[in-house]
Amino acid sequence: MKILFSKSHEWAAVDGKTAKIGISDHAQKELGDLVFINLPEVGKEVKAGDVLCDVESVKAVSDLYAPVSGKVVAVNDELEGAPELINQDAMKAWICEIEVENVPSDLMDEEGYKNFIQG
Amino acid sequence: MNLIFEISEQGKRCATIRKPDVQKSSLAKKYLRSGNLELPEVSEVDFARHYTALSRRAFGVDNGFYPLGSCTMKYNPKINEEVAGLEGFTRIHPLQPQSTVQGALEVMETLQRDLAEITGMDAVTLQPNAGAHGEYTGLQLIAAYHTARKDFKRTKVIVPDSAHGTNPASAVMAGFEIINVPSDEEKGVDLKALKAVVGEDTAALMLTNPTTLGLFEKNIKEISKIIHGAGGLLYYDGANLNAVMGIVRPGDMGFDVVHLNLHKTFSTPHGGGGPGSGPVGCKKELAAFLPGPIAEKTARGSYRLVECKKSIGKVASFYGNFGVYVRALAYIVTLGAEGIKSCAQHAVLNANYLKANIEDLYPTEKGRHCMHEFVVSMQELKDKTGVSAMDIAKTMIDRGYHPPTMYFPLIIHEALMFEPTETENKRTLDEVIKALREIYEEAFKDPEYMKAAPHHAQIGRPDEVRAARQPIVKYTKE
Amino acid sequence: MANYLSTTERETKEMLESIGVKSLDELFDDIPKDLRLKKLDLPEGKSQQETMEYMRALSKKNKVYDVILRGAGSYDHYIPSMVKNLASRSEFITAYTPYQAEMSQGILQAIFEYQSMVCSLTGMDVSNASVYNGANAAAEAMLMCTEKTRKTFVTFDNIRPDTLKVIKTYAKRRGIEVKVLSPKDGAADLKALKAAVGEDTSCVYLEQPNYFGLIEDAEEVGKIAHDAGAKFVMGCNPISLALLKSPAECGADIAVGDGQPLGLPMAFGGPYVGFMACTSKEMRKMPGRIVGETVDHDGNRAYVLTLQAREQHIRREKAFSNICSNQAYCALVASMYLSAMGPQGLKEVAESCTDYAHYLAAALEKVGLKRRDKGEFFHEFVTVSETGADKILKALDRAGILGGLKLSEHEILWCATETLTKADLDKAVEIIGRVK
Repeated sequence: MKILFSKSHEWAAVDGKTAKIGISDHAQKELGDLVFINLPEVGKEVKAGDVLCDVESVKAVSDLYAPVSGKVVAVNDELEGAPELINQDAMKAWICEIEVENVPSDLMDEEGYKNFIQG
Repeated sequence: MNLIFEISEQGKRCATIRKPDVQKSSLAKKYLRSGNLELPEVSEVDFARHYTALSRRAFGVDNGFYPLGSCTMKYNPKINEEVAGLEGFTRIHPLQPQSTVQGALEVMETLQRDLAEITGMDAVTLQPNAGAHGEYTGLQLIAAYHTARKDFKRTKVIVPDSAHGTNPASAVMAGFEIINVPSDEEKGVDLKALKAVVGEDTAALMLTNPTTLGLFEKNIKEISKIIHGAGGLLYYDGANLNAVMGIVRPGDMGFDVVHLNLHKTFSTPHGGGGPGSGPVGCKKELAAFLPGPIAEKTARGSYRLVECKKSIGKVASFYGNFGVYVRALAYIVTLGAEGIKSCAQHAVLNANYLKANIEDLYPTEKGRHCMHEFVVSMQELKDKTGVSAMDIAKTMIDRGYHPPTMYFPLIIHEALMFEPTETENKRTLDEVIKALREIYEEAFKDPEYMKAAPHHAQIGRPDEVRAARQPIVKYTKE
Repeated sequence: MANYLSTTERETKEMLESIGVKSLDELFDDIPKDLRLKKLDLPEGKSQQETMEYMRALSKKNKVYDVILRGAGSYDHYIPSMVKNLASRSEFITAYTPYQAEMSQGILQAIFEYQSMVCSLTGMDVSNASVYNGANAAAEAMLMCTEKTRKTFVTFDNIRPDTLKVIKTYAKRRGIEVKVLSPKDGAADLKALKAAVGEDTSCVYLEQPNYFGLIEDAEEVGKIAHDAGAKFVMGCNPISLALLKSPAECGADIAVGDGQPLGLPMAFGGPYVGFMACTSKEMRKMPGRIVGETVDHDGNRAYVLTLQAREQHIRREKAFSNICSNQAYCALVASMYLSAMGPQGLKEVAESCTDYAHYLAAALEKVGLKRRDKGEFFHEFVTVSETGADKILKALDRAGILGGLKLSEHEILWCATETLTKADLDKAVEIIGRVK
């Protein structure tokens, strides 16, 4: 399994044909206290860069983008009642699982992403 | 304080009604509700004290300075309330024969005509219930206009990035796609960007003028040329009409459709969030599409309701918020032509006076007069002290003032938007200037204290995250 | 003449100097000269006294009836003095939307109480702070239910005509089909409904009581909607809910209606208040403002506007609805009315309406105005007669009675409320009996 990051701050933990998707700790901090997540529908097909779903803080709504292309095969229902799990541990709180069709080449590894947000 | 449910005692009565003097009827049991109705049971004195206590925890224009930008919190004249409460206006049924409501129809027809004159439009419907509702109605008119011309490609509405959130939301409800255009350095519409997005698919551009930054869009003639040149229409969001009424008219600026907010510009009260009223005016090319019925004066001098030929359909029940029309008409009748103009002049005077006396500390657009409101950015203060626009707003509460609009428009960081309105007096403005200058100093002296403000309000800062994560939206008996 | 300014000429001069301009005109330099208006073509202003005289004269050109037997969406009810009196406090009237919670707890709590009462009446989990009116509430409910694959709205041709018109306007340009089924004996035709709903149905909308006053078999309608995988939306008269099964008991997902009967005058059609409540499942699709309970940083109970990320000022073009200003003051009045009446009082009002309506129906039958429909009714009903409706209504009008609403040449929709007496009704019936 390898963890890759997008420039729009989502992560994809790619494990063979599937990938769990979440948002980075940096993104979580920028968004502030999350109060709700509109989970994507199971079965939804996305291309990398498409809007996957959105998250709400008290005064903002932010779109999350699919880091990889494919089909949503599972969502983390636990987040529906407890979006704060993302704030508590963004790398652990996966949002959905995607059956991967394509992994874009511009995704970064942890080191690369670190440099990206510092730069 | 307690909820009214928490002071409820079983068996207490407040209002009482006459016993029917006819035989009791009964409905089949299968239709009847089971269980008790959970409504409060209070005595009349409980009732009076509860609502008096609630009112003391509310803050209106009558309580003090209320510079809430974009909302035009001007004084609500008492005479308008009394007039709207006259029995001849309150105890009439909307479906009475028209011959028995000639006064009501005259109110509507006169107000329609006055608003058409003030906006430079040819026809007006009063029906929409609020500003956003007016936007929706106006956009449906625009859609109907293009469709009637068999011009089916016009699917897009252009909205500046400084626009009220209702603009894009209304356009989507009316079935359009949104194109956002950025602002230029002078905070007007970026003409280059505008030219790049207009085309055969442009249905309309929605514009607030003065803009949400309180600045007059100087390029309005050019913008009108660009939009009309591409076959689109120009929509006027009337939220800021108070700055220019009697001085320049949307119709003369090139706008084809406008909505007004009677609860902003024409002094009808906001009532804690409504009822408003959002009449829509348009040029004659669009008049046939207006939602009906509309009041009309006949050749004989009587009044009647008529439907428009190709109406988009109704947008609200009956004729809209009639009680609000009565108040607005009383206001216009009292002011007259000169009075309306002087409102705009003094609204702009008050805003500029406040701005001139704080802008060294509260930075805003330089080198221009503002219109009826201005937006300051507290980013620099925040960088220096950590004190945000929100902290300043909450500190104003401690001083007994309602804060200005915060964090809008979205293109200004740490924004505070002040709109003092024309009914504010110089003494109050001087006090506010003094207070704002002191607050600025305080940000350097004791930033932590300000970050915890308010200290003397009904409550401290509420936990909004908790409210949204685990919503409690009704009373539940323990 | 009056203009509500509070600046003297001397002060104006001082202010202009402070700004650094010579005249008021100079402040408007940004406005192109050729666009400026010379003068509004409006009359000169009036003194307040003249305004009062002018407006009073207009109000007197309207006929106020002693006896009102017309409803059809606007109802004449007794409005308790304490409601009128306490609601007229200027803190309520002159406040804006409670954006600053720390100085608006009174307004926020009042809305929270209103939401709680709407939830009690409807049995639903969540109410919003109000929408424009009953017709708009139904239209907003339709938008809430619409999904990508479910875009057909199904209802019967026995809902209020204005509601149907507004729904049709809102459906336009959104790809929503509005299917209007013919009623049977004035009420929902269950067979026709079963045949009409399917995989594309977003919701079934039913009014209870319906436009003709009939009490619908709402539970059955709800079942048919749910069996098709559609939502069930009920439009209710709030007074009737003191007696009738709540929308929740009937299985509704969303309950809407017009709150006008709750202490708001008929006022030629507005302002009224649209109430809207739903199950917690639908909460995040609900339009409009919602007040929630929380605590402040000292742990004290506090009320705030919540779930705001649904709304247009945050979600902009992705918002479910564009609503911003609502009918908050009318909602306050409605909640005051419900507090003043209490559960017992509201029930008495509902029973009084039913009693007088049934007495009137029976009395009219004796003079040849027979009920058109068979079903049970609340406080409205339709009659058919050989005598023309116009003749009947004119005769009543001459006696200061506003008769029912003419639906066709020989059909009239009647309404009775607690404002009437037996003597009023007897007089009306006697007049009708003499019409040839």
